[in-house]
Amino acid sequence: MRFEDELLGHVPRLRRFAHALARHSADADDLLQTAIERALVRRDQWQPGTRLDSWMYRIMRNLWIDTVRSERRRGETFVPPDEGERIGMAGDQEAAVDLGNVGRAMQALPPEQREAVALVVIEGFAYKEAAEILEVPVGTLTSRLVRGRQALMAKLGEAA
Amino acid sequence: MSITPEMPPELLMAYADGELGPIDAKRVERAMAADPAIAAEVERHRVLGARLRGAFEPVASVPPAVETMLRDAAKVTPLSPPASRPSVTPKWIGAIAASLVIGLFVGQTLPQLASESGIALEAGQVVARGDVAQALDTQLASTQAADAPVRIGVTFRDAGGDLCRTFEQGAVGGIACSVGDDWRLARLYGGVESQSTEFRQAGSANAAMMADAQAMMAGDPLDAEGEAAALAGR
Repeated sequence: MRFEDELLGHVPRLRRFAHALARHSADADDLLQTAIERALVRRDQWQPGTRLDSWMYRIMRNLWIDTVRSERRRGETFVPPDEGERIGMAGDQEAAVDLGNVGRAMQALPPEQREAVALVVIEGFAYKEAAEILEVPVGTLTSRLVRGRQALMAKLGEAA
Repeated sequence: MSITPEMPPELLMAYADGELGPIDAKRVERAMAADPAIAAEVERHRVLGARLRGAFEPVASVPPAVETMLRDAAKVTPLSPPASRPSVTPKWIGAIAASLVIGLFVGQTLPQLASESGIALEAGQVVARGDVAQALDTQLASTQAADAPVRIGVTFRDAGGDLCRTFEQGAVGGIACSVGDDWRLARLYGGVESQSTEFRQAGSANAAMMADAQAMMAGDPLDAEGEAAALAGR
């Protein structure tokens, strides 16, 4: 299968991951596009026979963490909070509202917990695979995962 | 929350995620049966997981802009049809006019390459000239200098019996096949050169080019002896 075709097959999951990471829907789609561009430029660095999806998740996550770090340095928020509140209001109203609550709860997590939860709980990676993507020991991943999930349960608990 | 030293939260979470081996899983199941609070904690993990997945499911789609980007990118690489298709006169100059993507790619790459080394457009064919041609004519992969300006990769025979070689020069790579006295370019690749090792995986050279070479190849690549004999016999 051609590289681009295989990549295309992973785009829906990658877009979901981007939305779990980024604060706003527009940022998520920018992140997705940048990650795809990066993958096309560096396609020679992917080794056929290894998992393309893991490689893509790693690219996207590294791009995202760079933005998080530079935002922290500048102390900036790009989109005012009230605009953020409206994210996910299109389409099925019930699903959109839930994306809003769940999305806000995810955004309230520290980035280290958010990426762990996104990879394992939403994307379904095994602990070992997620730890490899994030380049942390499995024990580190597990403790971030537990803290992230407990925070989400506390925020979403009454409705869950 | 019923957390005991025997049933730490990590263990219950790992059970809910299906990460435990059979012995630990049995331990958790016994604890769940004995203590409803532990069973409820595991259930909370499952409910949370289902809720997160459900919430993000609607965004698992392909934006049109990304699909266009990938479809266009797929057009860039091959300059000639795959060897399995009936051979036709390469019409890739027409393809330049037809496709902005190819136009941009060749437009940027070819003049740059030509000025550096002499890959030339002659009678509708892209042929190697200058440094690239010389390397293809004489350079052996087994003896080339590590810092040679043109690097030869694999040498092989294609399905038609033609001698073909992969090469890299700076950020450009290609697969060239011997036709008469010329080396005709079957494929040309941009962005071959790695500028950073950030995402590089161990042992990966230009994987896309190598995969295409593999697909063109009849049998195995030539070994050092076969490579030297094939060049001498041209």
